[in-house]
Amino acid sequence: MSVNRRTFLATTAAASAIVASPSVHAASKDKKFRTALIGSGWWGMNILREALAAGQTKVVALCDVDRDKLELAGEEVTDLCGDEPNTYTDFRELFDKEDIEIAVIATPDHWHALNTLAAIEKGAHVFIEKPTGHTIGESQAILAAARAADRVVQVGLHRRIGPHHVAGIKFLKDGGAGDIGLVKMFVHSRGGEETPTKNSPPPENLDWDMYCGPAPLRPFNRKIHPGGFRNYLDFANGTLGDWGVHWLDQMLWWCDQQSPRSVYSTGGRPIRGEAILNDEEQTSDTPDCQVATYEFDDFTAIWEHRRFAGDGPEKPSIGCCFYGTKGTFHMGWRDGWTFYPDDSKKSAIHQDSELQEPDGHNLQLLWADFLSAIESGRRPVADIEIGHQATTLSLLGMLSLKLGRSVRWDGEAGRIIGDDAANRLLVREYRAPWTYPTIS
Amino acid sequence: MLQSRFGFATLLAVATFLASWYCSTAVAEDWVRWRGPNLDGISQETNWKSDWPQSGPKILWTCEVGTGFSSVVVQGERAYTIGHVDENDVVYCLDVHDGKTIWKHEYAAPLDDRDFEGGPTSTPAIDGDRLYVLSRAGDLCCLDTLTGSAHWQIQIADAADVRVPGWGFSAPPLVVGDKLVLNVGESGAVLNKHDGKILWSSADKECGYASPVLIPGAVKPTVVFASARAFIGVDLETGEQLWSERWLTSFNCNAADPIIHKAKMFVSAGYNRGSALFEFQNEKPQLVWKSKEMQNQLHSSLLYKEHLYGIDGDMDMGARLKCMEWSTGKVVWSVEDLRPGGLSIAGGKLLVLRETGELLVAPAAPDGFSPIARGQVLQSKCWTVPVLANGRVYCRSIQGQVACVDCRE
Repeated sequence: MSVNRRTFLATTAAASAIVASPSVHAASKDKKFRTALIGSGWWGMNILREALAAGQTKVVALCDVDRDKLELAGEEVTDLCGDEPNTYTDFRELFDKEDIEIAVIATPDHWHALNTLAAIEKGAHVFIEKPTGHTIGESQAILAAARAADRVVQVGLHRRIGPHHVAGIKFLKDGGAGDIGLVKMFVHSRGGEETPTKNSPPPENLDWDMYCGPAPLRPFNRKIHPGGFRNYLDFANGTLGDWGVHWLDQMLWWCDQQSPRSVYSTGGRPIRGEAILNDEEQTSDTPDCQVATYEFDDFTAIWEHRRFAGDGPEKPSIGCCFYGTKGTFHMGWRDGWTFYPDDSKKSAIHQDSELQEPDGHNLQLLWADFLSAIESGRRPVADIEIGHQATTLSLLGMLSLKLGRSVRWDGEAGRIIGDDAANRLLVREYRAPWTYPTIS
Repeated sequence: MLQSRFGFATLLAVATFLASWYCSTAVAEDWVRWRGPNLDGISQETNWKSDWPQSGPKILWTCEVGTGFSSVVVQGERAYTIGHVDENDVVYCLDVHDGKTIWKHEYAAPLDDRDFEGGPTSTPAIDGDRLYVLSRAGDLCCLDTLTGSAHWQIQIADAADVRVPGWGFSAPPLVVGDKLVLNVGESGAVLNKHDGKILWSSADKECGYASPVLIPGAVKPTVVFASARAFIGVDLETGEQLWSERWLTSFNCNAADPIIHKAKMFVSAGYNRGSALFEFQNEKPQLVWKSKEMQNQLHSSLLYKEHLYGIDGDMDMGARLKCMEWSTGKVVWSVEDLRPGGLSIAGGKLLVLRETGELLVAPAAPDGFSPIARGQVLQSKCWTVPVLANGRVYCRSIQGQVACVDCRE
C-alpha cells in the first residue's frame, strides 16, 4: 500500500479548514451509515454497541479471523437491531464486496495500518482503536492516507471527551495547578513470575496464519488469543503501547501537542522472567516494568508502569499527575480528577468521573463526535493526528527500550535525529505476502 | 464398628434422600454431591436457624484444606473436599463435629495458577461408600469413604484420548445408577463406576466446565453436557448425540450447569454472553427467550418457585445478585456492589457467601433481597458455594480455609 505524499501535503496544508462535501452536510439524523467492524472481539463490540445505540448505524459487515467471535458478534448485532451483517474472515474480501461508509477497526495493533488503509482506500471514514500503529511508520501512513483522501478518522481515545477529562484539562490550562514542571503517567497492577504455557494447535475456529498476518508466524498459544495479544511484542507493545497511549494523550492535550526533544526508556522483565518462545511453549515478552522519560522544552514527562506490586503507598495506581507551582493534579480513571494544593490550608478539589460501565469508558460521546465530524466536515476530537502523536510517543518509548539508548526526536520530520539504527526501528519487516505501507 | 456405623449413615442418607423426594421439606439432610441431593442447588432442610446474634453466627470450627474452589460434600458425620497443598491435591475427609481430618488422600498435581489462584475446581461426589474425585489434569479416582484408599484410579484424558480444556477439568462427576458420568471430551464420557472402565467417550474436542445434567423424565435417559461451544444432549446409554444447541462464548467457557425444568432448559455464560431459555419440542430445544441480563460466569443459577436466583457478571469485576423470572427472562431485582462469591438455597432462604467471607441469609423471594442474618465467617476471598447439611453451613475460601457455621436448632 502506498499513499501519495503530494496529495497528503496539499491536504495537510489546508489543515484546520478540512472540507466536507456538500452532500455530507445535507445528511439528516435519519441517515444510517453502512458500517463494517473489523475485529469483532470484546472491544470492537463495545464500540459497535455504541454505534448502534446512537441510531445512525446499519451494520452491513463483520470481519474476524476467529469464526466464533464472528458468529457471536453477528448474533448480537441481529439481537440488538435486526441487522444481519455479512461475515468475513478476510478484510480484503469484505472491502471488495461491500460498500462501506464507516469502518471500525478493532483488530490487534499489528493489523491496524493495513485494515485502516484498505478502508480509507475504499472511501470509508474510520473509527480506529488506539494505538494507530504497531510501528511509527504505519501510523504515519494512516495519517497521510486520511488526509490525502479527506476522510474522518477518529481514534478510540475516549478520554479526550470524557467529562472529567475535559473539565480537568480546562482546570490545568486555566492555571489551576500553576506552572507545570513535571508530568508523571502511570499504570500499576498486580502480577508475579510467569511460567511458560504449552503451545497448542490453533483452535479450529481460528485462522491463525491470518491472525499473525504481517507479523511473524509463531506457534499458537492460548495466552495470545483470545484476549492476550497486548502481551506479545509481535502483535502489540505492552502496557506502554496500550494504557500509555491514553495517558500520553492527556499530557499532549494539556501541552497543546508539543513534541518531545528526546526520549529514553528502560525496563524489562525482572519479575516475569526471561521471555520464552520455542516449539513447545512460550511466555509473553512485554516488559513487566518500564520507565520512559520524555524531555520537552519546558517540562519533563515520565511514563512508569509495573505489573507487580500494584497496590502500595503511591495511590492511586492509574492516571497522570501534573506537578505544578500550586500543587499536584491527578487525572484518574474511575476516581475522576483531584487537585491537591500545596497550601495545606486549602482543601483538595475533586471532580467525579462520568463513565459508561462495566468497562469504564466514554465511547458514547466519542462516537457522537465522530458522526458529528463526518456530517459537519470538521476534525473529530480524537483526530488521527492526535492519535498518531500519542501513539508515536508510546512507540518511541518502546524503540528506546529495545535500542538501549536515548533518541532525539524531530517531531516535524517524524524522524530520529542522527541515528540510523534507531530510524530503522520506525518500521518493521512484514511477512509475505503483506507489504509495509509507504508514503510516496 | 465403624463400618456398621457408616453403613447406617449411608442408609440414613438414602432414606433422607427418598424422603426429600416425596415431600418438599426435610428436617435434616446430607449434601452428597455438587448441587445437592436434588441436583438443583437447593436444600430442603428447614430446621436450621438464622436468628444469629449481631456478632454473627457461631463458628463451630475452622480448618485448612489448601488452595482451590472445590465445595464441600457431606454424608452423615463426614465432610469431604479437595485442596492444593505443596505439590499435591489433597482430598480431605473431615469430622463434621470438630473439623479434624479423619483421612487424607493425596496425588501429585500442579497448582496451575495461571489466570487465577489455581488448585482443584471440581467438587467430589459421594455415592454410598465411594467418593469420586476428578483433578484439573484428569486424574480420576474412586476412593473408599471409610478409609480414603483408592478402589481404582485412571488418567481420564489419556484413557478417553481427549484434551484438557484451558482451565482444566472442573465438572464434578455425576453418578447415575452404575454409571459415572464425566464432562470430558466434546460430549462427555461414561464409566462403569465400580471399576472405572470406559463404557463410551466422545471426540477429542474441548469440553466446558459445567456438571453433566440429566433431563428429568426424558423418554431416553438423556444427559446434557456443556461443551466448549454448545450444550449437547446425549443418550446416556450409547453416547450418541441427540441434539446440539450451539452456545459460543468468548473463552469456550460454558461453566454454569444448564437448568432443566418442565421441558425447558436454561443456559447461561459469562463474558457478555448472557442466557437463554429453550423449550424442548420433539425432544429438541427451541428458543423461548434470550437475555444479556443474567451472565453466569462460574456459578449456576438456582431455580426456585419459577424464579432464577443467580450471580450475574464477571466475578473479578464484582458481580451482581439477580432474581429473574423463569418464564420471561425479566429481571425482578438486582443487587449491585454485593460481590456474591457463592449461592445456595435452603428451606426457602438464600445463603449468599460474599467474596469478602461474609455469609448472608435472605428469603428467596421475588419481592426483593432483604437479608435477615449476616456474619463474617471467613477472612479471605470466597468464590465457592456455601453448603448446608444437617444444620451446619460449610463455607470455604479460595486460600483453603473452611468454616463450619453452626445453624442447628
